[in-house]
Amino acid sequence: MKVKIKSWTGVATWRWIANDENCGICRMSFESTCPECALPGDDCPLVWGVCSHCFHMHCIVKWLNLQPLNKQCPMCRQSWKFNVH
Amino acid sequence: MLRAIGKRDRDIFEEVWPDKRRIVLKLLRQDTVSQREWQDLFFGVHFVCLWDEKGAAKIYDCLQQDIVEFIVQAQSQVQAQRGEQALLATYIVEWRKFFTQSNYLPLPFRQLEQSPQVKPSSSGSSSSASATVSASGASTSAAAAAAAGSSCSNQAGKSGASTSSATGASTSAAAAAAAASTSASTSSAAAAASGSGSSSTTSTKKNPTEDSPVRKLMLDSWNKHIFHDIKHRLQESAMKIVHAERNGDAYDAQLVVGVRESYVNLSSNAEDKLEIYRENFEMAYLKATAEFYRLKSAEQQQENGVLAYMKYADSKLREEEVRAKRYLEPSSFSILTYTLVKVLIVDHLNSIIAECPALIRDYETERLNLMFRLMDRVLHGVGVEAMMGDLQRHIMSAGLADMLSASEVITQDSEKYVERLLELFNKFSDLVRNAFNDDPRFLTARDIAFKTVVNDTSVFKMELPTSIANRGVKYTAPESKCPELLANYCDMLLRRTPLSKRLISEQIDARLRDVLLVLKYVNNKDVFMRYHKVHLTRRLILGTSADSEKEEDIVEWLREVGMPADYVNRLARMFQDIKVSEDLNTQFRTSISRHDAINIKILNAGAWARCSERVSVSLPIELEDYIPDVEEFYKKKHSGRKLQWYHHMSNGTITFVNNFGRYDLDVTTFQMAVLFAWNQRQHDKISYENLRLATELPDPELRRTLWSLVAFPKIKKQILLMEPSAISSPKDFAENTMFYINQEFAIVKNGKSQRRGKLNLIGRLQLSTERSQQEDNQSIVQLRILRTQEAIIKIMKVRKRMNNAALQGELIDILKNMFLPSKKMIKEQLEWLIEHKYMRRDDDDINMFIYVA
Repeated sequence: MKVKIKSWTGVATWRWIANDENCGICRMSFESTCPECALPGDDCPLVWGVCSHCFHMHCIVKWLNLQPLNKQCPMCRQSWKFNVH
Repeated sequence: MLRAIGKRDRDIFEEVWPDKRRIVLKLLRQDTVSQREWQDLFFGVHFVCLWDEKGAAKIYDCLQQDIVEFIVQAQSQVQAQRGEQALLATYIVEWRKFFTQSNYLPLPFRQLEQSPQVKPSSSGSSSSASATVSASGASTSAAAAAAAGSSCSNQAGKSGASTSSATGASTSAAAAAAAASTSASTSSAAAAASGSGSSSTTSTKKNPTEDSPVRKLMLDSWNKHIFHDIKHRLQESAMKIVHAERNGDAYDAQLVVGVRESYVNLSSNAEDKLEIYRENFEMAYLKATAEFYRLKSAEQQQENGVLAYMKYADSKLREEEVRAKRYLEPSSFSILTYTLVKVLIVDHLNSIIAECPALIRDYETERLNLMFRLMDRVLHGVGVEAMMGDLQRHIMSAGLADMLSASEVITQDSEKYVERLLELFNKFSDLVRNAFNDDPRFLTARDIAFKTVVNDTSVFKMELPTSIANRGVKYTAPESKCPELLANYCDMLLRRTPLSKRLISEQIDARLRDVLLVLKYVNNKDVFMRYHKVHLTRRLILGTSADSEKEEDIVEWLREVGMPADYVNRLARMFQDIKVSEDLNTQFRTSISRHDAINIKILNAGAWARCSERVSVSLPIELEDYIPDVEEFYKKKHSGRKLQWYHHMSNGTITFVNNFGRYDLDVTTFQMAVLFAWNQRQHDKISYENLRLATELPDPELRRTLWSLVAFPKIKKQILLMEPSAISSPKDFAENTMFYINQEFAIVKNGKSQRRGKLNLIGRLQLSTERSQQEDNQSIVQLRILRTQEAIIKIMKVRKRMNNAALQGELIDILKNMFLPSKKMIKEQLEWLIEHKYMRRDDDDINMFIYVA
């Protein structure tokens, strides 16, 4: 007797690797969405700053739009730059 | 001098009138009047009015005398008739003659209208009519004089002085002129005058003689001297004719019509022309009708029974409507119908309604339709309501009885259940269409009844968990299993199953539509949604959809029937994940060539059926090797994301080779892990304990997986054997129960063992572990609680203040597409929200809630 794998379908879900449980702006869990969205996941992504802080994209964009001059990270007050991996 | 003129006045009347009076009498008798005589009459009237102060009154009095005399003569003629028909006939002849005269005899006497002595009450309307003519009074008065063939030296000056008299002269003269011109060829002026008179009755709306005091005098006199005395005889005779007609005897309809016309025309009341008709003829007609049918209907019902009676009543109602068109004025139709309905239907309502349940039971659509038409005529819908009640009760009891009688089959087989349900539904819908013409009231009754059948819990029910741990809320409510079975049926249509293979695409569509139709009546749609989603998850993970287009169609249909948007969006999201995963797979395979056998499905955690618990398992070494590659690949694609494996959903195909043959087996990853335990020691017997150590599966999952390998339903030879072999349930596996590979395993087809073949050992893919299944059941209730709270807050935020009843109404409206909240649950959630200060009760009114921001 011999058992060999012919094919395999692996099922997985994905989650964000964030340095915190909740978004520092809306205080909602990263597992769920920003207050404007209904469905977590691709529709409401997370973004990271160079400073390593992480927010719902919708939240940080809204925040940055409210800052006329110095675009700073709301957590550490360093100037905000998106961290593109 | 005044005395002299006064004396002369009397002379003028007495001088002129006896001569003219002869003409009047001729006219009344409808004797031939020459053109000259006719014109003389105009002149005479004008002359007397002009020269005699009291001339108008004198003429009027004299005229009245003559008319009354004539009428008395006519009356004696009518009264002389013994027979009823002859009486009617004579009366009608006399009346018609008189009525014709009344159209043109007033013409020469138009001038009397202007005289205050004879002016009747109808001054308002006639004065406005004369005002329009008076503008051209001077010129026409000359023409009038010429037409009347008289030459009076004083006329011009006099007419200029008094415009009112000139007006009178001008109109009467114009009429005479018209008469003269039209009768150029005819010798008799009277005939011409009557001709023009009658033609003007029909052509112009307002008969020129209608307001005339003379006409009123004529009609009133007729009314007083002849009609009043014999109207009862007339009515009685007419009703006897109608009666004879109803009995099917010979009759002369024209007589009745004639009498009715006389009633209508007799009225001199300008405001209400039908007064006399209504108070006498109509009343008599209604009374006679009611009496006739009161007797007949009782008799008919007694002799032929209620069912035949309905037919009788229906035909008579129609017959009487036709008859009414002949004998009655249109204004009487509605009251006649009312009277007939009262006598023919309302008085027999109870005995008719009593037949309804039996007719519904026997699907006597024709008779029901007849009954419905009869009942629909009854005011306030009492009868229709009773019928609706009968229908509703019947559908409920028949539907439930049908379900109950077939309970054994349908509780097991969702296909049979749904088909049975649809059959019932179509049957009752047909009934409503054929018997009640799809009347909205009956459709509602059907819907209510169907709702009861669908949501009934006596045949089968689903027990929702009895307590919610975290809030300590006790919640017990058995619910119909219908939504679950509907979802199962959907699954059978959408998955590759014998059923879906048997049907062509259109049939499947039609059946899916049917499911949605039934779903409309289901109270707890959230249960359907949950099951549908679970089934969809299985189909997508295992790739067993029969038709991926249909899968997406039904999502749209669910949206159309009002399923909550977030739910439908999640379903759509699931399809999207599968498509994204396919792309990912292609990329993955091109990047690393040796992983052709690997497929990954990366799901969006929020959208798929809840899989709360991760299960650890020790994978076969080959798979263990793939995992890091996949993870590395995914990390490159999506930064900031981490994969979490759901091995209880993973699955694959293995090639199983033994001494007998070579087989492809579809297995779950857990089954795979168990079978791989033998890969190094094929002939060993391995204890349960050791298998647990080897696979690292939690106890319940291992038991379940082993059971699926030793006792997979519907196969002759199992892949694993155990020792002792008499274990009847996975719970009975002991630590030292031994398992070993069945070396004789083979796929058996038609009683013959096959050397090659393919077998699916997955069965129903377990989406959740046993513990999380219990959680799942609770989660339904949990979700309902949250939804209820959410909806209450939503409503209160807008309304600020609201009383209990209104709040419950709106709440049910919001939630009805998901589930029907029980009163108890609403109350509990209200209390919870009050306790947590989301809202409060009004201090004065315990039923009034106030939103607290």
